[in-house]
Amino acid sequence: MTCVHVITHANRHFYEESLEQFHRLRHQIFVEERGWSGLRQPDGLEVDAYDNQHAVYLLAIDAGRLVGGQRLYPTLLPHMISEVFPHLAQLGVPQAADILEWTRYFVVKERRTGRTDCRLLAAMQEFCLGEGITEVTAVVEMWWLPRWQQAGFKVRPLGLPQLIEGQPCIAAAVEISQASLEHVRKLAGLRGASLIRNGLSSRIHQVPHVAA
Amino acid sequence: MSQQSFDYATEAFEFIGRLDGLPSAETVIEEMARSFTLFGFENFIITGLPSPQERFDQVVLLKKWPKAWFEIYSKQDYVRVDPVIRLCRNTVQPFEWSEAPFDRETEPRAAEVMDRATDFRMKDGFCLPIHGINGYEACLSMSGVDLDLSSRTKPALHLMAMYAFERARQLLNPLPYRGAELLTPRERETLMWAAAGKSAADTGEILGITERTVTAHIVSSCQKLGAANKTQAVARAMQYKLIRI
Repeated sequence: MTCVHVITHANRHFYEESLEQFHRLRHQIFVEERGWSGLRQPDGLEVDAYDNQHAVYLLAIDAGRLVGGQRLYPTLLPHMISEVFPHLAQLGVPQAADILEWTRYFVVKERRTGRTDCRLLAAMQEFCLGEGITEVTAVVEMWWLPRWQQAGFKVRPLGLPQLIEGQPCIAAAVEISQASLEHVRKLAGLRGASLIRNGLSSRIHQVPHVAA
Repeated sequence: MSQQSFDYATEAFEFIGRLDGLPSAETVIEEMARSFTLFGFENFIITGLPSPQERFDQVVLLKKWPKAWFEIYSKQDYVRVDPVIRLCRNTVQPFEWSEAPFDRETEPRAAEVMDRATDFRMKDGFCLPIHGINGYEACLSMSGVDLDLSSRTKPALHLMAMYAFERARQLLNPLPYRGAELLTPRERETLMWAAAGKSAADTGEILGITERTVTAHIVSSCQKLGAANKTQAVARAMQYKLIRI
């Protein structure tokens, strides 16, 4: 059975193997499959400047095998939208203690039928609700927008779509709400809380209070 | 950024803002007509892509199409040969109608639908495919004669179309699963008698089956239609033209 694990700086020593799989799959999916060639690494592990002690990973693991993942990062620190994609946020870059940036979302190819997506989307909402987060921001390929909306997410555009590596992409903010969590759970027939927090307290409180 | 593309952006964000407050499909159509006209579009349709068992008119969510063209298109079942629909199933990217490939020699019906559309001022078009999270496939296709369609206007139209589709979906609540899971003849029959005011016991007597079997057909219809009870199942079956009374 697939579970979503919360991994931070504090418990990553339990997950070294899963995190290596995560970076390897990121390379396979973002570089080799989607063609974001700027991220290519000789060792086949995709690691960027935001894979640091502030990042939180929510990884879907089934019997030791990683089947999907995503990363959350404080928007008060320099983050991808503020540093790499500010031109996508014509309406302004949201930055606050209760806003996280949501990046490197993926599901492995053989699990792309919907349920693993719903599980990861539900995990994101559930984690953020528990942390008092109100919104996550993300850069996403446009064809994902209706999928988020059909999952029950309220999505606010931060600008018009623009081409990134030949794909129309948009910067957007997704509202965190109990209603969205319940909607996506219902859609996939998921019951109740599903996050696993090995060696973590119930709330992480690692969001920095000052802009770096 | 030029002044003009800034205006497209403003129009797009304001359009998206207005959609939330619209109470009905009719008001969404009016709002889309008003905004899409600014880009030269005269006609548009939001429709699911029909499975082989479904008719085109069962999957259309909303439209501003010439009535005569809708009748011809439905009667001729052009949805099965329309190159725009075909490309929709195979791409997640927006495209212009002229980019939807077909072979005039070997696919005369595909040529026919594209040619006849021009008789209704549907000369050029822009189509946004939707591939939903549960396999729901749909599109928003818009057209006209003198379009303002460029690399500057397309991003605004793309965004507007995605939000217009979502508002239509929220208001009209199309069936997420279709095709093979359409109602069986017995399920339709029991719902039709329910619509006519008959109880499960009455229906059982009329059809010569037990009340329990009638209830089982209704429960299974409710599941297929995503309905909470018999009343909603009847309403949805009528909405999707699965039953007529």
